[in-house]
Amino acid sequence: MKKNHTSALRVELYKGRHRHMLLVPLGFLLVLALWSGFSHRNLDSYDLSCGYARLFYQFPLLNCVLMPIMLSVIASRLCDMEIKGGTLKLLCTLEKKSSFYDLKFLHEALYAMVFILGEGICIPVLGQLFHFTEPLSLSLLLRHVLCLALAAFPVLCLQHVLSLMAENQIAPLFLGLAGSFLGLFSCFFSHRISRLILWGYFAAFLPYGLDYDSESRISTFYPVEFPTATFILFTLFSLAFYIICRRIFLKKEV
Amino acid sequence: METVIQTTSLTKQYQGNKVVSELDLSVPAESIYGFLGPNGAGKSTTMKMILGLVKPSEGNIAVLGKNVNQKNRLAILKNTGSLIESPAYYGHLSGRENLNLVASLKQVDTRQIDDVLRIVHMENAQHKKVSRYSLGMKQRLGLAAALLGYPKILLLDEPTNGLDPAGIQEMRELICSLPKDYGMTVFVSSHLLAEIDQMATHVGIINHGCLIFQDKLSVLHEHSRSRIFLRTTEDERALSVFKEAKLPAVFEHGKLYLNTGKEKDILRAGYLLFSNNLGILHLAEEQKNLEDIFLSLVGRGIDA
Repeated sequence: MKKNHTSALRVELYKGRHRHMLLVPLGFLLVLALWSGFSHRNLDSYDLSCGYARLFYQFPLLNCVLMPIMLSVIASRLCDMEIKGGTLKLLCTLEKKSSFYDLKFLHEALYAMVFILGEGICIPVLGQLFHFTEPLSLSLLLRHVLCLALAAFPVLCLQHVLSLMAENQIAPLFLGLAGSFLGLFSCFFSHRISRLILWGYFAAFLPYGLDYDSESRISTFYPVEFPTATFILFTLFSLAFYIICRRIFLKKEV
Repeated sequence: METVIQTTSLTKQYQGNKVVSELDLSVPAESIYGFLGPNGAGKSTTMKMILGLVKPSEGNIAVLGKNVNQKNRLAILKNTGSLIESPAYYGHLSGRENLNLVASLKQVDTRQIDDVLRIVHMENAQHKKVSRYSLGMKQRLGLAAALLGYPKILLLDEPTNGLDPAGIQEMRELICSLPKDYGMTVFVSSHLLAEIDQMATHVGIINHGCLIFQDKLSVLHEHSRSRIFLRTTEDERALSVFKEAKLPAVFEHGKLYLNTGKEKDILRAGYLLFSNNLGILHLAEEQKNLEDIFLSLVGRGIDA
């Protein structure tokens, strides 16, 4: 049985040949690095003393914009090959439909993880590059990576099921784009509303808040307590959401 | 003869509408079973149910003597190859890469790829991207994928769709060779009567989801008995003379027919006409062809 799963996973990864899928997360990482590089080009000693706080505040907001689009592109590119080639009716005679669904999700999650881990590496690299004087907190870095992966999980679930069920990929890609706007705007709504927006969770676990004094035009970052209850509830929701999406797909006849 | 596919009261309904109704298929081993029916008759749905792609509303399916259920479905399907509706392929991969992928999933030796490529005459196009293949080439690639592992049963849904005449001929010859060369049973669907007539050893005819005929093709041909067309000086009087003499005469579309090919009956008819002062203007034997039988069975036109 284990051998079957390994061979099915190998087949799933084999399908990605010649698709240059790695370019998607790497391209988005480049955008992220250029964006933050551009915004950190003129830093004074005060800015350098809170350089990492700035990154931990800025990156989740950028993720609200970038992640929904990137996840929709990854899911679309990997699912479209099945839809275009009408392969489901062949695959479902050779492997379990559920295992196809899970392995395809895993395949997409691999590329999402390239971006997530890449972002995790980007933070200390940018710190070194710009000579931040603030020491890097490893626990905050791990928390950032973990929360980003958690927020990406249900969004990828949604993109995954839509891309597998849609006849063409315009609708899932449009949803990714709309999610990007919604996610960003949700940061400006009250918590009651923003917690209802799936794409807003990229910025729901910010370790720092921002105090901006318009008179002195100075931004001050202050630590924010980790929202443990939100984290647990969102984790449970994400798992349930995966199961629901999977059931919807399994119910659909090929 | 052993039966490799047996369905019992197989039914599929969507929102109360029966697409397939109480189908009792019986496919003998090493036969070419032609599954014939007009478009929308329920052929693809039936094949999908056999492959477990569509869940039957009622009824049983037994493949190679085992009842198919969700648990044993994949184990049983290991002995089958299929090509349903249109060929399945990954356009960005080459033909060989596509077959590599299917071979891995079927867990068969990748050396078989060369063999199946040779069978479908695709050796020269194997390294080309499938997105650049013609429909005929894709169809042949789909057949090659189905042949991997040399399954005992091959299910082909309209395999000649979209092929040019040469491609159709090639596909037909290939299908006909499979039972003899590899001991396979081929279950092939089509809406083209002539196609099934040239390939099948057994035939099942489906219309509006119901199986209306199932037997050897030769039995279907036996229905194509001849009848005699007659034109006399007074057709109506001739009919009543025949009926009085209990000869099987009918009047169809303004024409007089004797539904018999027996010489004894024809001689008697001639004598009766002569003794009743009726002249014969025209007499001809008419053979009921397979298409006429099919039309009389399904009650509407199909593509010949």
